[in-house]
Amino acid sequence: MPDNIRSVGADWQPPSQQAAFRQIMNCFAYPGRLGQLATEAKHGLPLLLATLVDRSNRLADPHRLLDEDEHRRLGASPGSPEMSQFVVQPGAYPPDFQPMLGSLENPEQGATLIVVAERLGTGGSLHLCGPGIDGTATIAVQGVDPSWWQKREQWNASFPLGVDMIVVAGCQVLALPRTTRIDLKGVN
Amino acid sequence: MGYVAIKGGGRAIRGAEAALETLRTAEGDAGTPLSLSTIENQLRLLTSRIVSEGGLYHPRLAALAVKQMQGDTLEAAFALRAYRSTKPRLLEAPVQDSGEMRLIRRISSAFKDIPGGQMLGPTSDYALRLMRLDLANESPESFRDVARRFMDNVPETDLPDCFPKVVDALRAEGLLPAIDGPAGTPFDITRDPLVFPVARSAALATMARAETGSLLAIAYSNMRGYGDVHPTIAELRVGYLPVMLPHPVTGEPVEAGEVLMTECEVVAMYEGSDTDGPPVFTLGYGACFGHNEVKAIAMAILDRALQKGMRDGPRNPSEDPEFVLLHVDGVDSMGFASHYKMPHYVTFQSDMDRLRTTQAKVTQPRRQGENA
Amino acid sequence: MNPNYELPLDEADYSFGFLDEFAKREVRRTILKAISIPGYQTPYASREMPMGRGFGTGGLQLTLSLIGQDDTLKVIDQGSDDSVNAVNLRHFVELTCPGVNTTERTTEATLIQSRHRIPEVDLTESQVLILQVPYPDPLVVVEPSEAKRKVMHGEGDYSRLLTKLYEDIVQFDEITISHRYPTRINGHYVIDPSPIPRYDVPRLYRSKALILLGAGREKKIYAVPPYTVTEPLAFDDVPFRTEDFRDANGHRRACGRCGATDSFLDELIAEDGSKAWQCSDSDYCNQRLAELAQEVSA
Ligand SMILES: [Zn+2]
Repeated sequence: MPDNIRSVGADWQPPSQQAAFRQIMNCFAYPGRLGQLATEAKHGLPLLLATLVDRSNRLADPHRLLDEDEHRRLGASPGSPEMSQFVVQPGAYPPDFQPMLGSLENPEQGATLIVVAERLGTGGSLHLCGPGIDGTATIAVQGVDPSWWQKREQWNASFPLGVDMIVVAGCQVLALPRTTRIDLKGVN
Repeated sequence: MGYVAIKGGGRAIRGAEAALETLRTAEGDAGTPLSLSTIENQLRLLTSRIVSEGGLYHPRLAALAVKQMQGDTLEAAFALRAYRSTKPRLLEAPVQDSGEMRLIRRISSAFKDIPGGQMLGPTSDYALRLMRLDLANESPESFRDVARRFMDNVPETDLPDCFPKVVDALRAEGLLPAIDGPAGTPFDITRDPLVFPVARSAALATMARAETGSLLAIAYSNMRGYGDVHPTIAELRVGYLPVMLPHPVTGEPVEAGEVLMTECEVVAMYEGSDTDGPPVFTLGYGACFGHNEVKAIAMAILDRALQKGMRDGPRNPSEDPEFVLLHVDGVDSMGFASHYKMPHYVTFQSDMDRLRTTQAKVTQPRRQGENA
Repeated sequence: MNPNYELPLDEADYSFGFLDEFAKREVRRTILKAISIPGYQTPYASREMPMGRGFGTGGLQLTLSLIGQDDTLKVIDQGSDDSVNAVNLRHFVELTCPGVNTTERTTEATLIQSRHRIPEVDLTESQVLILQVPYPDPLVVVEPSEAKRKVMHGEGDYSRLLTKLYEDIVQFDEITISHRYPTRINGHYVIDPSPIPRYDVPRLYRSKALILLGAGREKKIYAVPPYTVTEPLAFDDVPFRTEDFRDANGHRRACGRCGATDSFLDELIAEDGSKAWQCSDSDYCNQRLAELAQEVSA
């Protein structure tokens, strides 16, 4: 876990956010593929958040992965992980909260969970299938406690309710929308 | 077959723009371009409509929109709305107290004597709708004389001032329900889509931007019997509301400017209350930017009707929040009506395919029957 | 207003992409939810655009929230790049997004905004198709209340819609829906795929490109993710059928310009009243003409 996640000036600029969004959107469209956040910062998390979150959202960061200054620039209202549209969590810790799952009428109110991992591409492999995936896909995620995948399966058990996940490691991102099924047999 | 041109869209658009601009200036040498100040002042009720339906209080830009759109209110309000999409929101104003309005007109049809008194102000309500031929060839001199004479004769005490609100008196007497707690955060229709059921504040905001004629038509249906609000106007007021914003440094509220607005409160027949308290009158509220009394009254009636519909389920179109709120926006409805002018070649081709296929199915068995 | 007030003329300067950044961010958040819940009509605030509601403001808000300087945009209406509405929208993007490339070639585009058609050429993973939607909800025909429709969608309950289709069959011996054919996405939500002809509906099935649909007036965004199963609603004994371009003798009609027998055709009526047929996808037609010209000269 990098202990000082800091933004750079360009993370707050429209062109950086446009490019970042296209990477993130591509990750949601093709789950299992890695996106690259173009930033001079050491970590992609601030750019990721600056791209998606603003003062019209509630954001939970219970482990204070971002400092006060970064939060002030984002402008989101602080909230608990149970009541926020966006939740930032270190993947190393097992999830200890119940996120918003939305409702049958308004499933989009299910939370977006942003999980900070150590590395993407190497380590234990996840086998994925679902919309956006041509057959199956395999992706390696290091530094995410396996209980996340079990919890995620429970949260997403009754579609359309559920949570959508973004895993970020350094400047790489991976998206796991609620429709992506992870084969848990191989997870360790 | 001959070559079918599929080029030329760009040229056609430029030609259309030129033709439109030519009509705007068709008076030629005999014409004088309208100044924005002229439109804003001499056509002040038109400008009022545009600022209210455009959802942006900027009378000068509204005047520009009227000029550019050659007097089309729907198009002018639309241009103002589109302009708004490009502007970030810098600050959210706290809830403003309309009791602070500096009134140019206020009436009550419920009480003869109201605290502060009735003030007829600028209204054509009692004017005879006879053509004033003296305006046909009005000279600049006589135009200026009228203004000068009026200003000379106005005593200091007649300048706009604020007055207590009539409904406060009714509330003090226990005829209206007490206000339950401070106002919550109002629903922001410019930032959140309407997902039904919606809060009353969302309904009010939608109606405040609504197209005047659309709002009036639905309110009129309620007045005529498709509904039973039976309103009495407790108070109708027109005036300038000082807009108070927190000072960027001290945080103390300071007056940042003023907006002309119209506000209407109607009292409707009492309903059995949900609580155990005694029955009371019910209230409908309407307000909009600019001077537009019909709009404020229609909105107040519909607010009452919608509150009833939200509570007991709609029994008439005017009590149905989805019906009312999704059909009163001028930008939406005008845009959609206009879109039918666009080509629908592909879908019509598809329609013809279905019709021919079903026609064939209907005629084939008949032919077989003829042969037999 | 103060009689000496002058309009500040620099206010006419618009930022890149016309919309302010908060508006774009909201559209972007909505897109991610729309992809995550395939076929669900995700509500969003929808800003007023400087063209009429119904002229593609929903598609345009998507395009403007996606587009960057690396993009190449193609805009079509009725399959054609040069119809007035397509020209108008493309012009608007060129005006408000300096540095962005535009093209008429389907294969060159990274973003394709379209009204009523999906291009004939198969799209790729590096492309996004944006469809303009006038009516997003296929359940409107059976249920006027949106609150009730939302419950039906959530439960995946389309029995009333199927009943409506069945009544059609009883009356006409054929499903009479010509375009906007209700299509089930990933086994749950049924969408209105926008007024594309039935001919284009099979192209949604496991499309390599992401398809985003935007309804500006109705304030909804929805998506068909790539590699997703899509099924037009139908019955075993009355299957879904695309438009039939065969003549009275059962021969497939050909484009009068390029000779294609594998494209959606516009029916044209000439001055003398005779009928002619031509590709609705103008780029497809032009590319075929160019290829034919090359063959002749070679
Ligand atoms: Zn052709």
